[in-house]
Amino acid sequence: MATARPIRSMDPYAEQFWAFTQKKELRLQQCSDCSKFRWPPGPTCDKCLSDAFEWAAIAGRGKVLSWTTFRRKYFEEYPAPHTAFVLELDEGPLFVSYPVDLDPADLREGMVVSLRWTDGEDKFGSYNLPVFGPPSP
Amino acid sequence: MVESFDRKRLAPLKDTVAVVGVGETDYGADYRGSGGKAVAKGEARYDSYTLASRALKRALDDAGLNKDEIDGLCTGPTLSGERASELWGLNPRWSGSGDAAQCIIEAAMAINCGLCTTVALVYGNAQRSMDTAYGGARVTGGGITSYFYYAPWGMTSQGALYALFFQRHKLLYGTTDEQLGSIAVAFRKHACMNPNAVMQKPLSLDDYMKAPYVAEPLRLFDYCLINDGGVAIILRRADMAKALKHPPVMVSGFGWSEENVDATQLRPRLKDFYHTAHRGVAAQVYPMAGVTPRDVDVFATYDSFSVHLLASLEGFGFCKEGEGGAFVQNGRIEIGGELPCNTSGGMLSESYMQSWNHQPELVRQLRGGLGARQVQGAAVAQYVHDVAGKCKSIIYTRGG
Repeated sequence: MATARPIRSMDPYAEQFWAFTQKKELRLQQCSDCSKFRWPPGPTCDKCLSDAFEWAAIAGRGKVLSWTTFRRKYFEEYPAPHTAFVLELDEGPLFVSYPVDLDPADLREGMVVSLRWTDGEDKFGSYNLPVFGPPSP
Repeated sequence: MVESFDRKRLAPLKDTVAVVGVGETDYGADYRGSGGKAVAKGEARYDSYTLASRALKRALDDAGLNKDEIDGLCTGPTLSGERASELWGLNPRWSGSGDAAQCIIEAAMAINCGLCTTVALVYGNAQRSMDTAYGGARVTGGGITSYFYYAPWGMTSQGALYALFFQRHKLLYGTTDEQLGSIAVAFRKHACMNPNAVMQKPLSLDDYMKAPYVAEPLRLFDYCLINDGGVAIILRRADMAKALKHPPVMVSGFGWSEENVDATQLRPRLKDFYHTAHRGVAAQVYPMAGVTPRDVDVFATYDSFSVHLLASLEGFGFCKEGEGGAFVQNGRIEIGGELPCNTSGGMLSESYMQSWNHQPELVRQLRGGLGARQVQGAAVAQYVHDVAGKCKSIIYTRGG
């Protein structure tokens, strides 16, 4: 059984994003006209208003921008303490995730982290959740 | 960016609209109930309309106006304008809705366009009784995607978003927890001088530091209250605002600018601290009112979290970017200091009325006679509204 997670917000674009995670692929929408990457998923490019895009595979590497440690439980699935962080992906967008194989006390501004996968399940089904840890040697 | 507002159009609106009445409910009593203990969350007492009605009646009494003289109505969340009008027997010629600053600006525009002359701005919220949640599984989405999009990673709550903001401020500028704590301590000190404030127990920096983290690096006292209450404000065309109960308080300046691009991935929050929006508003509100930050005698900012004050002080030029932490120390933001901030206790310690409560306080500071809480000689008061980069500001001055 996969690990229960708080419910995902679903719309047709989010469905496509999560479908790629089934194959452990982290893909973001990239505008076919101006090449801007966007996240969270949505219908139009906020730079040029084009609705043409492709799901582009990303390198899965980012730099730590900020983090917070929940000392109070907000979700049954995430007992406190739980640390979430924000990364600046190499492709540009900022991405919320949480650190794995990394002590939150060791987090540093600008630290490079890379993609890992863990499992997840909610009422929409089971999926793989992109998380980040120290770069593989 | 090219200046997209027209100073020649904005400037003539200075002092064309006045605040003539303010009223609010008894926040402490609403919070504690008759037994003196805090009302339990989810224990419904009065609904939003009851709270709003009480505030409206007080504001009309404060103005010395009859409800039949109201020809415009603005309602804040959680009220429906339609239902409120019916309840109060009003047929407004013009109506609007929104947050406090938005309602003040829109009402001022409607009055200036000749659509109405006297607008009641009314807010009521039974959020404690209703057990409103601002994070976790029960949170309602609303229009702000970042509020709920990151749930699968366990990221939720407005407080946590401001924790990310403060963590970033610490990383870039070396701002300390003690500096942030000075804000909660100052606001509590003010609340203790305000008989209508919910929180009346003094708070020391030591108390602040010993309080538990909620979303680290924010502690309990960095968070606003969740309480029930209502607020009402009566705005009137300035030439009709004389010879009422109180001297009018003029709406001398306003400004509005938003920072929404890439907001859901938190870019303006973490890479800009919303300063682009602040600068956009500052460029409108100060020239319109004909003042600079140096002229501001009393200041109030939206303070769902203490961090808001750092952002607005830096963004509006009271100090340089990154120097907010140093600015808020040593009593500088307390009554008697050089820039008294949130003198009612704000939403951290007076009442969480989503900034509606800041307006009566600024109006009363300009009227004078607040006793120990009075900012001596207050002539210029500024309110800054910044909720996730949707920024507005109002400058009030003492009318003749």
